Amino acid sequence: MRILFQKLLTALLLSTALAWADPTWATPTGQLQLPNFDSLASKAVQTVNITLDPNLLSLAAGFLDSSKPDESDVKQVIAGLKGIYVRSFDFDKDYAYPANDVEFIKKQLTQQGWQQLVQVHNVKEQTNVAIYLCASQGNANGLAIIASKPREFTIVNIVGSIDLQKLHRLEGKFGIPKMQVDAQK
Amino acid sequence: MNDELEKSLRFALRPVDPGEKFTQSVLARVAEEQPAAAARQRDHGRSYFGLPARPTFRWASATLGIVLTAGLFAAHQWRIHRTQQGLEARRQLFQALQVTGENLDIAYRMVNNQEPAGNFSRTR
Amino acid sequence: MSETNADASEEVLSRALAGEVAAFGLLVRQHQRAVFSLALRMLSDRSQAEDLAQEVFLQLHKSLASISSTAHLGFWLRKVTANRAIDRLRREPKIEAVPLEEADAMASETLDPDPLLSRQLRALVGQLAPAPRAVLLLRYQEDMDPTQIARALSLSINTVKSHLKRSLAQLRKQMEQSAGFST
Repeated sequence: MRILFQKLLTALLLSTALAWADPTWATPTGQLQLPNFDSLASKAVQTVNITLDPNLLSLAAGFLDSSKPDESDVKQVIAGLKGIYVRSFDFDKDYAYPANDVEFIKKQLTQQGWQQLVQVHNVKEQTNVAIYLCASQGNANGLAIIASKPREFTIVNIVGSIDLQKLHRLEGKFGIPKMQVDAQK
Repeated sequence: MNDELEKSLRFALRPVDPGEKFTQSVLARVAEEQPAAAARQRDHGRSYFGLPARPTFRWASATLGIVLTAGLFAAHQWRIHRTQQGLEARRQLFQALQVTGENLDIAYRMVNNQEPAGNFSRTR
Repeated sequence: MSETNADASEEVLSRALAGEVAAFGLLVRQHQRAVFSLALRMLSDRSQAEDLAQEVFLQLHKSLASISSTAHLGFWLRKVTANRAIDRLRREPKIEAVPLEEADAMASETLDPDPLLSRQLRALVGQLAPAPRAVLLLRYQEDMDPTQIARALSLSINTVKSHLKRSLAQLRKQMEQSAGFST
């Protein structure tokens, strides 16, 4: 997580410099255009399909109990967000998801404003994870995660002002894994 | 042959029941995570309609009563629907955060070399 | 499972999906043996196993909408339990292990023809590395086939078969070294 924060800071500084250099630089929105995955869903053994636009996020926030510290933390995390979009599929055979859909998404992530923070690949388990950040004028306004294994494919797109520090506070709660940062010392 | 060993293994590994106390603990934890707002779902008001004694206004009153009842019912249904929508949005929000956290965790572990050396490549 | 039982289970799942707490409680009761036992034999610690099993059911409650059938539910529970247990073992390899024969004391509801052998086998299974241990438990405790195990643990089928082969060979060798085990 520390490495991710360092890269986030670098991305923010870089995007601020670019904005000053070229005032006509278009402001990227941080939202990806996701393909229609209906055919994929029909082949998957498990699907997670979440679309939380600003209205639904606001509605969800209304059902969080501010008197509970954990739910209050969640409220803070989503306070600046404009949308959360998740598409995740599990299959019962390798590479059942089409490569051109993945490429369609990755192409958007090469456009102005998006910067790749991390890309890791595990040869043994054929796992790939890439994390991208969209920033403009010193502010992060989008996060994208693309994770793939032979039988799993996940895209997460978070739109809006993301505070990774606050997201970090949610570790170990609501099924979110706890990253043992201090255990590395 | 492995048949005897496999047979013995299957027997040795018969599932164990954790007991009713476990079930109750799970349900208690599930209940803790439901928002207080779920209680509002059960808290709906009632209206009482009295027909006037004079027959002249009986039909008008009945019609008014029906309209009001239908309106209140519709409002109540809308409120239930909205509550269900909100609870579902809340559930999806937690699930989205969980998926996000899981994938950040995978990336974090891979970046920090928690797999044996040589098993992965890094491009950044 | 008979057709009547299968229909009843699907009905319970539908009711749980609709938000009925009692139905969710039934689902917990139906599957808690499998989930708890898997956790127990992975972690070799009863309280850790209970904690993990509870977390799995809590996650199920949050993810219920993504469950499409009772078959899928069973698979999902085993998959999540095994993967969480493996993650826990990798993050906290020094889980204080209670001797399995104590943690597993409730295993025999029916008379065990050879309790010593069973105890020994469970102890040896507990000594396997996390991934092979999970593979063995999913195969011989949960009766999953290698394809399902590969899917559940995101491994290739060859890796699953290799784990099974090596683990059985290891168990056999260790059993043969103790007196009284014959093939």
